[in-house]
Amino acid sequence: MRFFQPLSQYGLARILAETRTRTHLSPGIIDIEKSSNSDDYAAFFDISLPPSYSNTDKILNLHWNIPEEKKERALATSFLYSLQPFYSSSIDDELSKADYNTYVENFLSLQDIHKQIYFLPIDFIESESFDSVLKTDMSLIALIGLDKIFNNQRKLSEVLVNLKEKISPDIAIYLPGPIAPSNYSFLIYMGIDFFDNSLSYYTSENGYFILGDRLYPLDKYPKCYCQYCSQDPKDIQGHNELMMKNEIAKVKYALEEGTLRELVEQDIHKSVTFAASLKHLDKKYSKVFRNRTPIISSTKIKCIGEESLHNPVISEYRERIRTRYKPSLKDKIILLLPCSAKKPYSFSRSHMLFRGAIKKAGKQVFHTLSEIIVTSPLSVVPRELESIYPARFYDIPVAGVWSDEEIELTSRLLLDVLSHYPKDIKIVNHMHGHGYQHIVDIVRKETSFEIIDTSSENPPTNPNSLNNLTDTLYNLIENQTIEKDKILSSKIRRLQFTADFQYGQGTGSILFSKDIKVKGKYPRHLQIFRGGEQIASLSSETGYLSILPKIAQEILDKTLNKLEFGVDQVLGSNIYAPGCINADTTILPNDEIFIVHENKVIATAKALVSGIDMNKMTSGSLAEVRKKLKVRK
Amino acid sequence: MKINPTFSSMIREIRENSLKDREHSRRIVHWVEDHRLRSGAGKALVFILPTRGCSWALSKSGGCSICGYIYDNPQQPDFDIMLESFQKILEDTIESEWEYSLKLFTSGSFLDKKELPLEIQKKILKESSKYDQIKEIVLESRPEYVTDAVLQNIAENTEISKIEIAIGLESANDDILQNSINKGFFWDDFVKAAEKTREKGAKIKAYLLFKPPFLSEYDSIQDILESVSKIVELGVDTVSINAISIHRGTFLSQLFEKQMYRTPWLWSLLHLCREIKEQYPDLRLICDIVAGGSERGAHNCGTCDKDIIAILKEFTVTQDSDILDEEIKCSCKTEWKGFLFSEKISNSEMLNKY
Repeated sequence: MRFFQPLSQYGLARILAETRTRTHLSPGIIDIEKSSNSDDYAAFFDISLPPSYSNTDKILNLHWNIPEEKKERALATSFLYSLQPFYSSSIDDELSKADYNTYVENFLSLQDIHKQIYFLPIDFIESESFDSVLKTDMSLIALIGLDKIFNNQRKLSEVLVNLKEKISPDIAIYLPGPIAPSNYSFLIYMGIDFFDNSLSYYTSENGYFILGDRLYPLDKYPKCYCQYCSQDPKDIQGHNELMMKNEIAKVKYALEEGTLRELVEQDIHKSVTFAASLKHLDKKYSKVFRNRTPIISSTKIKCIGEESLHNPVISEYRERIRTRYKPSLKDKIILLLPCSAKKPYSFSRSHMLFRGAIKKAGKQVFHTLSEIIVTSPLSVVPRELESIYPARFYDIPVAGVWSDEEIELTSRLLLDVLSHYPKDIKIVNHMHGHGYQHIVDIVRKETSFEIIDTSSENPPTNPNSLNNLTDTLYNLIENQTIEKDKILSSKIRRLQFTADFQYGQGTGSILFSKDIKVKGKYPRHLQIFRGGEQIASLSSETGYLSILPKIAQEILDKTLNKLEFGVDQVLGSNIYAPGCINADTTILPNDEIFIVHENKVIATAKALVSGIDMNKMTSGSLAEVRKKLKVRK
Repeated sequence: MKINPTFSSMIREIRENSLKDREHSRRIVHWVEDHRLRSGAGKALVFILPTRGCSWALSKSGGCSICGYIYDNPQQPDFDIMLESFQKILEDTIESEWEYSLKLFTSGSFLDKKELPLEIQKKILKESSKYDQIKEIVLESRPEYVTDAVLQNIAENTEISKIEIAIGLESANDDILQNSINKGFFWDDFVKAAEKTREKGAKIKAYLLFKPPFLSEYDSIQDILESVSKIVELGVDTVSINAISIHRGTFLSQLFEKQMYRTPWLWSLLHLCREIKEQYPDLRLICDIVAGGSERGAHNCGTCDKDIIAILKEFTVTQDSDILDEEIKCSCKTEWKGFLFSEKISNSEMLNKY
């Protein structure tokens, strides 16, 4: 059994806790020697620097800060650094390879491998000896030699992504040595869990004063008013430790809150090293992050820099629109609308005006209309999905200028969505401005749809534009008959598309048909009834659904959120790794998943980690149980 | 135990390339310095005799990973000139009011017949015996040359109780001797040489190396402490801790140039002296620092280097442990601790900050 278990994931970053007591340990800093401050850290090495005759032990002890009352239940409270290779990995290949193999052999023969710190130079990540260690319950890697490639952004991201893809998410990575805290957010985003405070020891004339995102030389630095700088003489080491602790606390908070990506986007602009790294990651490893980043959330996403275009949540959103959004073929008209600052769009002044104009053309227009909001960085938001995360939760600085990449991404997704409609459907373009114009031009060029512009002369909220919209819609539906019995209310449409987006394409129409009743109104949660029984609810916080196990059974062959469970009954409130036979790799952390045994949904649960990682884990909790199937006895 | 062939061949390659450039100085080098004799404070008269150099360094093994003394030895020694100048220097240098420790170094082994034929050894010892002021004669040698025949030759030509044979043991740990230094002999060889020497009535001194390549400073401190204990148990009464200095043309020098090695901190040496002297108050402890304060020798931050070197020198001469207790404050002392840890945990792979 491994010592760590992930309690939440955000891309490659996660909060790791001790397996049995669930004490949060990562991300954290390790105190390199036992001090009066050790309690503030995730762990500390119980060694004296320098070694002496009273301390001749060759094994270093690492003590985890697990609360006293929980220590008894913990799988372990201290780790050992028992062995390391003799030769440095940078030395001659022949010498170091043989030596490393010997090291690994000796490591594998140690007792309690889950308590041993494993020494991994980056040059040996791809080695067979490392693969053999991964078959054990080794829990903590000391990653060595990253400094050698620290200024090579491509190599750095490659090495870390490869390593993270290789290992189970319940193995922690400790990056020892002096590392500037301004690098923490990015390195944690890349999956590093632990640092140590050795940098704070660098207080000689050649040392550092850590402040904000910089390391200042000790002969000239800004004034600081912390307690350590206020005393005489100043305690530079104390100050530096404080700065490191503050920085890790900030990242930890962002990780818990789900805003780590934004923090990283801000922080990388302070470092030449990482600015390019993130771009490289987004380009080359987008999927790795997307597959592990929750899409169920309720935190605002501030899309400030161009990096936001590739925020994993936003990429995942676009991907799901592309693969899971299949519009109603009964619709006769597509209306393209601009986005609004206020979310959901319907609550904005502009969209209220649009809806007013639509209504004027006749109430029945809504029954035959696909409203599609075109926006950056999400590209396309169908009206039905405007309240889900991230559609309701993003903010962008409105300048009206679209970059080439934004235009390219947006038009491509719009074309994908439009390709589902019949060729003779009419498109009404009620968007205005250069960027939107450009996107519609691309659609015109690439398709044979008839597109009618209603806002090309004036802004979309201008009365003339609104009148154009009303008139155009009126003319378009004049000769059309609407089959009343096939009409779905906008509420049902919304539920269906949400289900498709959340559980998989085709699930919505099975779950929600005309016979359901919906109670509640935003900002309350919606309660969905069928035959007098509540079968589902829709959270107004996230915009996502939650359904009963027996209802989930109906969509079993369509859903992408299944976890195949080894036993016919779920005991307790957690789903543990040994019970998992297979999990759908489309599962993201926070997703509502269905626990299935022999084709029967026996419970619903909230995923703690991604489906990919569920399949890799051998111990620890994978999901928290929400509802169990009620069994009549 | 045997040498590590892979490691040895790497050293040999470097050695062969560097030997091409060696100079041919046949000059005998000597100097006088303050010294702690067993009988008390006095002078040391040090000779570097221009022999052909260490046989181990010239062998197919490539010699020790850290040693470049061989590059200073002439290829063809001239023993006549050597003896002549030796006699003259003794005459000119020895002053009647001092007691002397005569140190006969060859940058190799004095007792190696290939370096100094028995006949020459004999003449040098005989000449030295003429001076009553010379109370101690220190000869450096690898243990394999400490044979009965050689010891017999010494006993016949000088008073053997004056003789101290200094052996560059470097570490009492065979793994370090094998994989870090390529020393070519092991702890047991040292023990045998020490026992033989004592049987004949001569004394033994051990040199320990701080810090050999691939050992973190933390590990090297532990190794020195352990080695000292083993040596003391053997009954050896003098240990010299030699802080490494980086010789050009060596394996270590290449490691250093690739920024994979940092020469030791003076703080560590100060700590070692305190620790050892406290544990073994009767041990004669010598702390030898070459190129102290420079990048290629033991050094701190540059501010406190001189003060610490002075303390260690004074301690070596006086053996007074109170000198070591003097408190020295410098902002680099915490940095040293941080370094000890980082270098240890990363197996010397993380010498840079990032």
